[in-house]
Amino acid sequence: MPSATIDHLVSATLFLVAIVLFISLFSQNLQAALLYQRYHQVAMKANDLLDSITLNTGYPTYWGASSGMPTSFGLQDPNERGYHLSPFSLMRLASYSGAPIYYPKTGLWYSNVTMASGGFLLVPYTTAVNYTTAAQLLGVDGSYGFQLTIAPILKVSMTELRANPLRISVNVMGPGLPLGNAYVSYNLIRAIDVQKQYPAFTITSGDARTYANGSAILDFPGIDGSQYAYSLIANVRLGGLFGVGYLEHLTLDKQFVIPMVKSFDNGNGTATILLAHSYDVHYYGPPEAAIAYNATFLVLASDAALHPILVGNGTITGKINYGVGKPYGQILIPNSNPGILVITYSYGNNYGISLLPWGIGNLAVTLTYGPSPSVKDWVATDVRQVVVAGVSYQIKIALWSLAGYQVQGSRWAS
Amino acid sequence: MMRTVEVIMVIVILATAFIVGSLFAVLPSPRQISSVNLRELALTTLQMLDEKDELSTIVFKNPSDASWGYLETALSAALPPNIVYNLTVYDTSIASNGTIGYNSVNSLSNAQTGLGASSETASILIPSSDVIFSVTPQKISKTLYILNCNDANGWWITGYTAQTLASDLQSMLSPYFQTTILVNTTQQLGLLLNNTLGGRDSTNSVVINTFGEAVPIPAGYYKTDGYDSSHSSYAKYGWRLGQRTYQYDWTWVSIVGYPLYYVTNTATFSGSSNGWGIYGMVSVGAAGLNAFLRGLDNQVYSYDDTWITGSPGVVQLSQSATYSANYYGIFTSPYQTSTRALPTSIQSTYHLSVASLVFNQVSNWVAGATYKHSGRGAFTAIGLARIPDIRITVLSLLMYYSPTLYRTEFTSSGTTRLVVLQLGLQGGG
Repeated sequence: MPSATIDHLVSATLFLVAIVLFISLFSQNLQAALLYQRYHQVAMKANDLLDSITLNTGYPTYWGASSGMPTSFGLQDPNERGYHLSPFSLMRLASYSGAPIYYPKTGLWYSNVTMASGGFLLVPYTTAVNYTTAAQLLGVDGSYGFQLTIAPILKVSMTELRANPLRISVNVMGPGLPLGNAYVSYNLIRAIDVQKQYPAFTITSGDARTYANGSAILDFPGIDGSQYAYSLIANVRLGGLFGVGYLEHLTLDKQFVIPMVKSFDNGNGTATILLAHSYDVHYYGPPEAAIAYNATFLVLASDAALHPILVGNGTITGKINYGVGKPYGQILIPNSNPGILVITYSYGNNYGISLLPWGIGNLAVTLTYGPSPSVKDWVATDVRQVVVAGVSYQIKIALWSLAGYQVQGSRWAS
Repeated sequence: MMRTVEVIMVIVILATAFIVGSLFAVLPSPRQISSVNLRELALTTLQMLDEKDELSTIVFKNPSDASWGYLETALSAALPPNIVYNLTVYDTSIASNGTIGYNSVNSLSNAQTGLGASSETASILIPSSDVIFSVTPQKISKTLYILNCNDANGWWITGYTAQTLASDLQSMLSPYFQTTILVNTTQQLGLLLNNTLGGRDSTNSVVINTFGEAVPIPAGYYKTDGYDSSHSSYAKYGWRLGQRTYQYDWTWVSIVGYPLYYVTNTATFSGSSNGWGIYGMVSVGAAGLNAFLRGLDNQVYSYDDTWITGSPGVVQLSQSATYSANYYGIFTSPYQTSTRALPTSIQSTYHLSVASLVFNQVSNWVAGATYKHSGRGAFTAIGLARIPDIRITVLSLLMYYSPTLYRTEFTSSGTTRLVVLQLGLQGGG
């Protein structure tokens, strides 16, 4: 009789332990399968969302070159087909990469696409399309988070090797490898003091090929790089890839002109750019002084040369200063042509050049749109090759679920 | 002890079930769950490299040309570091039995072995920039007569003149017809009606009236013969035109509005107007069309001024018209407005059948069609509201005669190359 009781106790205990153990084991497999299913769903969503963004112009079709907000979100270039992104729509995205800038004379905060020295792309948040709006228009608000990174494939960097006579090295890199035999066409913009009041500029053009190490050496006999400011814009192509880069050399460090977008569309085919004194933005302190400027809008033509496009009087000259009662400068540019606004400026015998790319792509601007995915639990990514204003870009999406990946009891993410 | 043994056996069974279940329920690798869309990446890479025809230029070069090396560098630079690729270029050719062949021209790859089962492929077809792909239309073995009379006025061709329409029709249709002749005066029209214009036999020809609702009338015999004195109407001229259409097996084409509603001759009717300020024109009314249909049906002339057309409003191109529009590259608006559509009843009354339907029938109204008479002759009537879209007329004639377009073969050797880009993830998968 006692042995039967012991038998019952042992078998019952064993049975219960085994049941609990196997339920746990089986449910682990099921949980993993469910999780995988949800991860796969996020990956599919990333794929769909990227195509939706890149193959749809949004609405209104030309919203990128207007001041109004889109009612449907898409970045495709309405003048092209396939994976061509609008340089203007990209310009209106509120950047996540640079710190916002406040300009007291307009009382507005500006989205700041961080660029190298002398290059500016500042768009007021009142006309920039912020991430929340885009997420709502895409129908993922509250369900998915995403980040878009639009970056040029070719990295074109430049180094001044010698000032007089000027010698510059242009370095062309792909992701991790130098690009030898790349064709380089360049335009050297130099600020010169012709009229003694407003600095003009000259353009010197030429071409070269990179060596096997991806570098091309450009010599400019008779040009003293230390005398005036200059800016070198180099366009690069190789085997169907197109890239662009630029180098700035300034003889002014604190007083400079900061161009900002005031209006994307004035209703007559023009946009307004305001020219701010750097002291109004960065508060360097005294001595502040008036800056004379000379602004011209240039487009890169098919002959790889920069040509001015005139609006109104074409080249605009003026002076700007820091402080209350000193208005900012204003100029008009055509809003439907991608190009570069070149502003040469001077203060005494010191010179500088500011560039504003009208349309992402002209200066190979990199754009980050949306919050960082770095702390998210599971992030799906996808990538497409695209063309922006003739420059080869990659657009990458990182997507994660805002609902988390809970399958049982506890919450796993977000 | 027995129960303990039984429980152990249950545990063994459960363990076996778990092991067997786990063996079969293999979860996919994370790479398969959330991988980059390689097919789209491959396609966008090819499109991007061909953005300014660089890829198109390179793939037609000799495999030993240095530009292939540039393309290889560009591929390595454009693709993420964890992606391996294989780009193969094929020359397309067509065998005598019609089979299309693909012969490998060159291949670039950064993979030592195959790209794995999970690799994806995209391809584009690139025509050579040195080749012009031409289209040669089959000639319809008929003569096309286009009324271009300089001594007549048009009506319901607002914004155009009959002469400009004639010029447009000539440029659009002459590639399809053996011979195209412009009938430049009403006197020449008289010769055509006598079948003596230019000493040619006009039997089995096509005659397009570019004057809209008006039709030129020659002075002399046809003016006298065509006048119905008992009704003070030129309706009998319409009957004569129908007779000639039947007699010479013509296809008579009316481009817009109510056919044969006016007769026009600026010399003969210089003092008469159509009531809307256009001189050189006399109204016939609905009797003109009725008389024409009687003539086409080889019936004796009788005066009937019953209005027979209807106004179905917006009409849509038929399925066959849409097909022909795509085939011949004539892209008109698929929706048009019709206020002068012919009734289906004319088919039984005048022994006509619809040989080609341009617009879908709406109720009992046919807005545009070519009617074939059971004996001889045909009648194309486009009953749209003004202003005429002359491309509809061109489309209706091409639908009726269906000339073949002979296109240059894209698969001729050396003219087209197929570029295939296969992408895989490093490590296979």
